[in-house]
Amino acid sequence: MANAEAGKIFVQKCAQCHTVEKGGKHKTGPNLWGVFGRKTGQAPGFSYTDANKNKGVIWGEETLMEYLENPKKYITGTKMTFAGLKKKSEREDLIEYLKQATSS
Amino acid sequence: MEKREAAMSSWSPERKQSPVGWDSHLSRILFLLLLFVVSAQGVTSKPDTCLVSHSGNGSSISCQPPAGLPHYIPADTVYLAVEFFNLSQLPANTLQGIPNLQELHLSSNQLEDLSAKFLLPVPQLKVLDLTRNALTRLPPGLFQVSAALHTLVLKENQLKVLEASWLHSLKALRHLDLSGNQLQTLPPGLLASFTDLLILDLGNNQLETLPPDLLSGPLRLERLHLEGNRLQELGKGLLVHQPKLRYLFLNDNRLATVAAGAFRGLQKLDMLDLSNNLLTTVPEGLWMSLGKAAGNMKDGFDLSGNPWICDRKLDDLFEWLVANEDKMFFSNDTRCAGPKALKGQMLLVVARSP
Repeated sequence: MANAEAGKIFVQKCAQCHTVEKGGKHKTGPNLWGVFGRKTGQAPGFSYTDANKNKGVIWGEETLMEYLENPKKYITGTKMTFAGLKKKSEREDLIEYLKQATSS
Repeated sequence: MEKREAAMSSWSPERKQSPVGWDSHLSRILFLLLLFVVSAQGVTSKPDTCLVSHSGNGSSISCQPPAGLPHYIPADTVYLAVEFFNLSQLPANTLQGIPNLQELHLSSNQLEDLSAKFLLPVPQLKVLDLTRNALTRLPPGLFQVSAALHTLVLKENQLKVLEASWLHSLKALRHLDLSGNQLQTLPPGLLASFTDLLILDLGNNQLETLPPDLLSGPLRLERLHLEGNRLQELGKGLLVHQPKLRYLFLNDNRLATVAAGAFRGLQKLDMLDLSNNLLTTVPEGLWMSLGKAAGNMKDGFDLSGNPWICDRKLDDLFEWLVANEDKMFFSNDTRCAGPKALKGQMLLVVARSP
């Protein structure tokens, strides 16, 4: 059985700073377990910028599509140095992967 | 009132509903009230002033259009972001008076050059993000007081050359991102003094060759990004000094040759991406030389998008594939280009057949 292919995008572009599994450690960025359906800036134990905490949206497919295209545009003042994923299909695949990896 | 509810429910930062047939004075008051309510929630509106916050550590300032450039930056500022403006220059004394600055985010401007003295006032700087500017060079001595800098991002600038001297004094560097530039070669000794470098991203440049000593020296890389370049071969000396390497991205190059000992000594490899190259075959023993890592690849490997010739020379690889198929990305796109009888077959299927 082959890997969930989109997991590769995560390893390539996100895993430098994020983990996904339950109980995974915070790195430069927060562990993402439980992120779907959660308000921005709420992973327990991570020190967010105020900008992220106050963004006030719920992370879901739509908000993540917008965010991951250009994180610094979406959350002014984020510490995230990631420039974003231009390709819509890549973002869609990544979000599908995240849905599974952060909740099951 | 009906009109007002309609305006509120369909308000978006991009559109301003102009109420039709209302007293213009009343509509202006209601519009301001709406702006006040929305900005008080701080949810979806784009702020037209810089975001300022204070904590025990110090102040954080973030500015993006439609806000203007920051006028006043408190002396205790630890975080400063000035992004998405069209700045082509910054005055040499921009950072004067904020000695505690730890993070500086200047992405998506149009900075063409930086003054050599630019970072002198901020010796505690830990993160410098210059993504998406127009830098073609870095002035010598830029980092002379930057012994605390651990993350330097120069992604998507216009660097055509790189000189080792530009990165002098970055003793604490852990993460260096040079992706998305136009680098064709790298100078010898580029990374010679980096003892703590964990992540090196050279992806999406125009590198045709790598200096064989690129990764020798004291550094202990965990992650190496070389995807999206023009590399034609992977020599046996490149990775031998990096036994702690965990992630290796060589996809989307022009690799036709991988030396037999290329992966020797990589004891901790969790991810190997060789997809979208020109590999027809690999030397005997290549995979075995991954050692323990060959069976312990936590994240996986990708060999898709290569014109594999599925003859006996690939027997080694077939054996390894069958043993590790649960870690194989894009097995559906990993197919034989020859010999004729096997053209188009999945490598995994051929590997499993007697």
